[in-house]
Amino acid sequence: MTPLIIIIVLVIILIPVLLYNNLIRKKNAVENSFFSIDVMLKKRYDLIPQLVEAVKGYMIHERDLLSSLTALRQKAMENNLPTNEKVRLDNQVNNILQQIVVNFENYPQLKASENFLRLQGAINEAEEQLAASRRFYNAAVNDYHNAIETFPSSLVASLAGMSKKEYFTIRESEKGVPALNI
Amino acid sequence: MSLEKNFNTFYEKELQGLLIPLEAERKKIKKYGAAGFVLLGTAVILFIISAASHNKVSVVIAFVLLLAAFVLLIIFGNKKKSFAAGFKESVVRKIIRFIDPSLQYSPGLKISKADYLNSGLFVEQPDRYSGDDYIEGTHEKTFFCFSELHTERKVSSGKSTHWETIFRGLFFIADFNKNFSGRTYVWSERNPQINFLTKLFSSFAWNLEKVKLESVEFEKRFIVYSSDQVEARYILTPSFMERIVRLQQMMGEGTSLSFVNTNIHVAVPIRDELFEPAIFSANDHNRLGDFYNSINIVFDMIDELKLNQRLWNKE
Repeated sequence: MTPLIIIIVLVIILIPVLLYNNLIRKKNAVENSFFSIDVMLKKRYDLIPQLVEAVKGYMIHERDLLSSLTALRQKAMENNLPTNEKVRLDNQVNNILQQIVVNFENYPQLKASENFLRLQGAINEAEEQLAASRRFYNAAVNDYHNAIETFPSSLVASLAGMSKKEYFTIRESEKGVPALNI
Repeated sequence: MSLEKNFNTFYEKELQGLLIPLEAERKKIKKYGAAGFVLLGTAVILFIISAASHNKVSVVIAFVLLLAAFVLLIIFGNKKKSFAAGFKESVVRKIIRFIDPSLQYSPGLKISKADYLNSGLFVEQPDRYSGDDYIEGTHEKTFFCFSELHTERKVSSGKSTHWETIFRGLFFIADFNKNFSGRTYVWSERNPQINFLTKLFSSFAWNLEKVKLESVEFEKRFIVYSSDQVEARYILTPSFMERIVRLQQMMGEGTSLSFVNTNIHVAVPIRDELFEPAIFSANDHNRLGDFYNSINIVFDMIDELKLNQRLWNKE
């Protein structure tokens, strides 16, 4: 009789522990996937000064846009920014980049520059990788949400105070070919 | 439509004349085959009758007929083989040259076993590896090659052994338009290899993770494993997933893909041999049209997957 009671007690203790460990693994997966976005963001931010350098001689009317892009980049490169701030800055950078890209059309000389085209290719590539990282992050968040919202792990999650995470919004343009089409 | 029209003119101009002597030869070979099978059938019937009536004379006659059938069928087999070789050299080669003169056609070659195994689409080592009709070329910027393959495993049960097919069909390899360093497998849900053991091995032995993707339609048809979650999504963008679904609709439900060593591999299970000439029916316009469509479908595949849309860092 006693061994049976021991087994039952062990199982009762073990189940919440296993559930908790599973939740922690999923939470860590979300954090790890955010790390991959961070790497890609940095890769893109590294390209911005080169882009500004390459176009500033041509794009006279967009000087304000270019200087705000540089300023935003500097802010984004600061260490220890909270996640929400990073996402907000990324969205702003995206917006300005889009506006600059639209205006490329007005400068045929730019399109003739080999250097500029190579740079534009590198940015396209960084954008694609960034889109992939964002989707990976969203998949990890989705997995985590499923775990904290479904019974019985939802009980452990509420006891441990685990809350929902934010999704990245994926722009329409990221669903297809590179954002910066030539 | 215009493709069909092109082929019709080409058929009338170039192939029809070529087919006249080949058709005469085919009819001759057909006679050997038909006579062999008739004799074989008669011998079998005679054996049954003589077993029932205990007639020794008819057993001897049945043996003679069987021997004759055997000889005729061996001759038929040899003639069929050399006919097929000649047919491929003249007719199939001409069709391929018509589609694209830069294509290299080697009827006797096949995709190498190393490439087949590297693709990771089929996990077990085949005991028998055969194939033919290797074609390679460049479509715009994309280098590609494909051939027919037939891979089998030996199954021994007690004293008897038999062969089971692992894969039979078209195996296609092309240079992929993006750089990547990991391995990503897009296995068809219908792939019989995808079982509990494969899933277990994928995570432990092969260091792969299951990739859950957003497209419901895609998830219904494929199961994706990759060594890199981000890279898998870099390759499988939402629009690329849509194209893969369309490709599978076009090529059949067993179609699987893999992305390894900067190449894309596509395995399309097909039961029939693609470029073998018929012996018991005419190699007419319809049959040759099928050959023509089979090769063109590879170009459709490249276009459908937009492999020609290069990113800037990969020329």
